[in-house]
Amino acid sequence: MGSLIVSEAVTLDQLVDWLSSFRDAVHEHCDYLTELDSAIGDADHGTNLTRGMDAVMTALDPPPTTIGELLKTVGMTLVTSVGGASGPLYGTFFLRAATAAGDATSLDGPALLAALRAGLDGIVARGKAEAGDKTMYDALAPALDALQSALGEGAELSGATAAAASAAAAGRDATEPLHALKGRASYLGERSVGHIDPGAASAALLVDALAGAAG
Amino acid sequence: MIGIVVVSHSPALARAAVDLAAQMVQGRGPVVAIAAGAAGGLGTDATDVSAALVEAASPEGVLVLMDLGSAVLSAELSLELNPPEGHPVRLSAAPLVEGLVAAVVRAAGGADLETVAREAEAALLPKASALAAHRPAAAEATRRESAPAGASTRMTLVNPQGLHARPAAQIATALGGIDADVVVESRGRRADAASSLELLTLGAGQGAEITVSASGADAERALRTIRDLVVTGFGELEAEPA
Repeated sequence: MGSLIVSEAVTLDQLVDWLSSFRDAVHEHCDYLTELDSAIGDADHGTNLTRGMDAVMTALDPPPTTIGELLKTVGMTLVTSVGGASGPLYGTFFLRAATAAGDATSLDGPALLAALRAGLDGIVARGKAEAGDKTMYDALAPALDALQSALGEGAELSGATAAAASAAAAGRDATEPLHALKGRASYLGERSVGHIDPGAASAALLVDALAGAAG
Repeated sequence: MIGIVVVSHSPALARAAVDLAAQMVQGRGPVVAIAAGAAGGLGTDATDVSAALVEAASPEGVLVLMDLGSAVLSAELSLELNPPEGHPVRLSAAPLVEGLVAAVVRAAGGADLETVAREAEAALLPKASALAAHRPAAAEATRRESAPAGASTRMTLVNPQGLHARPAAQIATALGGIDADVVVESRGRRADAASSLELLTLGAGQGAEITVSASGADAERALRTIRDLVVTGFGELEAEPA
């Protein structure tokens, strides 16, 4: 059982893999994210995140030695390189997660959940978003709830993060009929209905990349 | 004098807004630092906001004016990353252009952070008042009830455009160092003379009669100051063809 507990933690290297595959995902889906954003925003979400994650991976070479430093580097790099609202929002997410992770060099399930929760709380504090406002929160919050329940039921990290990814995707899709109440899309009012929120879409990619790296 | 920071997605927009405001105070305004653009394009960067807050730092405080969404998020994140030390910083809900013009004029007059912030947030008043035909409630809101007791004088506006934005700013700025409460009245409307915005809501054009009332230690000096500005046409008369 001891060896199982050791294997049931994500290492710093796995987190670097997470960020690397998130970078690849935003590259792959750059046009899609920008297209979503052109429907209800300022048509820059894909290019902004691509630029931001490229800058992140450059900053992580070589990677810092603690998870706190790793996530802090990610947050600060996003803050200075993204430009749109996703800069301070994802930036705050990673900075708060960094504080929660501290000097750790690996995170077990509860520690990973705690770091992600701290990040999500930061997004809520920064963006004042609530469930159903048609934002990244609508993908991230159900993802963390799913992660928490799966871990509570004794699931392994690979299964728990996969459940989180499914919940994030469902949350992303559920933003389509919503009327945007935050961000640039809120200027559109009713016209934001019928489009998936770009922030929820990129957040779902982030959780999906985590499931891939932790699996 | 307080400092001012402008946070905008666009460096061009920020510079133009600052130019527009600076025109009102002829080089005697507060330090206005800009944090605009990100990664070479449109956007905002919290670390740039922190640098601008340092540039505009004043013991009397700093007012931050922002344009859209992420400008607000970046300004808030900047305060979290680098909390200001020893002086207050206020994030203003004012509209960027109107708020900046109002804030620069009021700050140039030496007003404190609280007063400048309030003035900036009331910056839609002149526009609302000018469009009051469409919005009667707004017009009511601009009518002031109380006038200070004290010295009073009547005069006629002789400059071509009357009490437009620059003369209003000149009055408000000139009163900055004078210990007096001054009210300007025209056609039944009253305005605090220290507020260029309220002066604009009078809609007093060339030939309009205004009544200036002042109370306080420097009341007489306040009246003389305004009379000098009015009779010289706010420096605009020489520019007119003979």
